Amino acid sequence: MSFVQRMKLPLLTGLIISALLSISAAQAETAIVLNSVDENVSFIDTRTYKETGRAPACKEPHHLIATPDDSSVIVACAVSNELVFFDPATGKEQKRIKNISDPYQLGFSPDNKWFVANSLRLDRVDLYRAADYSLVARVPAAKTPSHMAFDKASQFVFITLQDSNEVLAIDLKTQQPIWKVPVGPTPAGIHMTPDDKYLLVGIMGADYVEVIDWRARKTVKKIVTAKAAHNFLARGDGRHVFVSNRSMNGSISLVDMQTLTEVEKYDVPGGPDDMEIRADGKELWATARFARKVQVVNLEQKKLAYSIPVGRSPHGVSFISHAPRQ
Amino acid sequence: MMQLLTDLFITIQGWLFDTFVQPVLFALGLASYVEMGFEGVEFVLLGCIELAIAYALMRPLEAWWPAEKWAERRAVKVDIIYSVLNRMGVIPLVVFVLLAPVFMELESWLRFHDVIPRQLEDWLPGLDTKPLASFVIYLVILDFAEYWRHRLSHTFGWWWALHGIHHSQRQMSFWTDSRNHLLDDVIAGVWFACLSLLIGVPPGHFIGLLIALRLVENLSHTNTRLDFGTIGDYLIVGPRYHRWHHAIDLPADPRFQKGCNFAILLPIWDILFGTLYLEKGLPPTGIHEQSAEEIAARDNFWAQQKLGLVLFWKALTGPAKSRSA
Ligand SMILES: [Zn+2]
Ligand SMILES: [Zn+2]
Repeated sequence: MSFVQRMKLPLLTGLIISALLSISAAQAETAIVLNSVDENVSFIDTRTYKETGRAPACKEPHHLIATPDDSSVIVACAVSNELVFFDPATGKEQKRIKNISDPYQLGFSPDNKWFVANSLRLDRVDLYRAADYSLVARVPAAKTPSHMAFDKASQFVFITLQDSNEVLAIDLKTQQPIWKVPVGPTPAGIHMTPDDKYLLVGIMGADYVEVIDWRARKTVKKIVTAKAAHNFLARGDGRHVFVSNRSMNGSISLVDMQTLTEVEKYDVPGGPDDMEIRADGKELWATARFARKVQVVNLEQKKLAYSIPVGRSPHGVSFISHAPRQ
Repeated sequence: MMQLLTDLFITIQGWLFDTFVQPVLFALGLASYVEMGFEGVEFVLLGCIELAIAYALMRPLEAWWPAEKWAERRAVKVDIIYSVLNRMGVIPLVVFVLLAPVFMELESWLRFHDVIPRQLEDWLPGLDTKPLASFVIYLVILDFAEYWRHRLSHTFGWWWALHGIHHSQRQMSFWTDSRNHLLDDVIAGVWFACLSLLIGVPPGHFIGLLIALRLVENLSHTNTRLDFGTIGDYLIVGPRYHRWHHAIDLPADPRFQKGCNFAILLPIWDILFGTLYLEKGLPPTGIHEQSAEEIAARDNFWAQQKLGLVLFWKALTGPAKSRSA
């Protein structure tokens, strides 16, 4: 089999899958939203933009992520020390995994070997085998490990330390912390650029995204976005990333990861935090923490199109037919 | 209608947060407390709502159907200070700031030694998806623990030195519920935190129920003839029931030497542990103070805080002394 043929196979499968997905997208689809203070999840019909129901989650759930294969949406329960799995298609609870200590923010390494859970409250990062969620190592990470990103090779996980204003790198091979670099006040979200060169860090205590050349371990640029720069979501075109600026009169910035500049901005009130983007790239969904709403931005008109009331402190939104994660 | 009220609430909460809380947190370099600050604003707002409801429901009871008629209400003032400090979150915040670092350190140490504290749901897995049932079971257990905390605070001299402040009010009103020595509040916090390590914490989202429970506690201190009747007295603590707990002269039975009717919410604990006293009368409240300082402290916040500490120290270093002494 030639190189091109070998390339074509996954490409074709990818095309077929995305075609299937766009069919299902045209049909009714469910978005799952985590209401962290109400301790439940909301289901939203993505066609009517209406909440259709709720299901109990657990005590102090903080974040929600989809598994890499989109077969489950996982809710991290900080106080009840568990993970709750929901079926993203039906919203049904699939299972609970207990004895996951104080999970706050979750992540899978790109090679799908590692499942990482930050314990913000207890200054620790736990490394699990993604295959069976068995604990491999607990790594001390003071203070308040918040969000995470990985390098392409899945050799490192990078963690923002919210209260000590640093980014910590952990070597996944040795499960040891290897370095820290200082960043701006209260770093939150962290994102690896598609070229694997820079880490983007949302500086919540200020108004910019800090760009770190992680191999050189130094800051190379500060991209001013807006007050309380918080979290990231790739647009899926391999070039742009959304940045939520989580204040009451908040906004979402679009940053070009090649030029490292802000190229667009949309007004999204109510403390926009976590985001999700539709497979066709036309809609950006964001949970507005303070407004108890999911805000839907029409990316063609570049403005807020829908505000969907949900529960208190919505933190995380997910649906199956989303754009690629890069 | 509900959405309208919710939107109004969120607007006020957002405005307070944006105008006062967030700028201060950012200025102090405490941006990671922003979320907690936002929830704190909600806590304060709900506390105000609860106090407003308590006032609207219980002040008329005290005016039109009092247990005791008072010539003036000046002695009530200090209890209003306690209630406002408590419901507006000042006292809870102080307790949290004092205790959180210690218990976080302890929990963190436990986790590194692979001890993940168990919680009720681990023993009763069915509760995982039934938060309301879980809440109710936690409530019963916590109320049981509160009964014993309360009873012990009447038993140990050093603890009574603090809890006596709650009892020194001779004009007991719905405001008296929050009248506690600050150190007593801290001890209650430790009690609750230890319990949390043993059984976990209840689901935290039943705000309406929490408000209702606080209203019951306010009502049990209300100066009113209202009672829950013969059957009601066995089901839930009411004004007459708790008035007997505050009686200046306790029932003569030696069983009640340290006090009677210790229950906070459910009389079942008094029934089970032999401290129930049901009587139709409505006794005067207070304690028989033994010094001029104690009498002077009856209606002065700072004098009470000082007195509590002095008596606390004396009790720890001197001969034993408790409710009966
Ligand atoms: Zn008492
Ligand atoms: Zn009382």
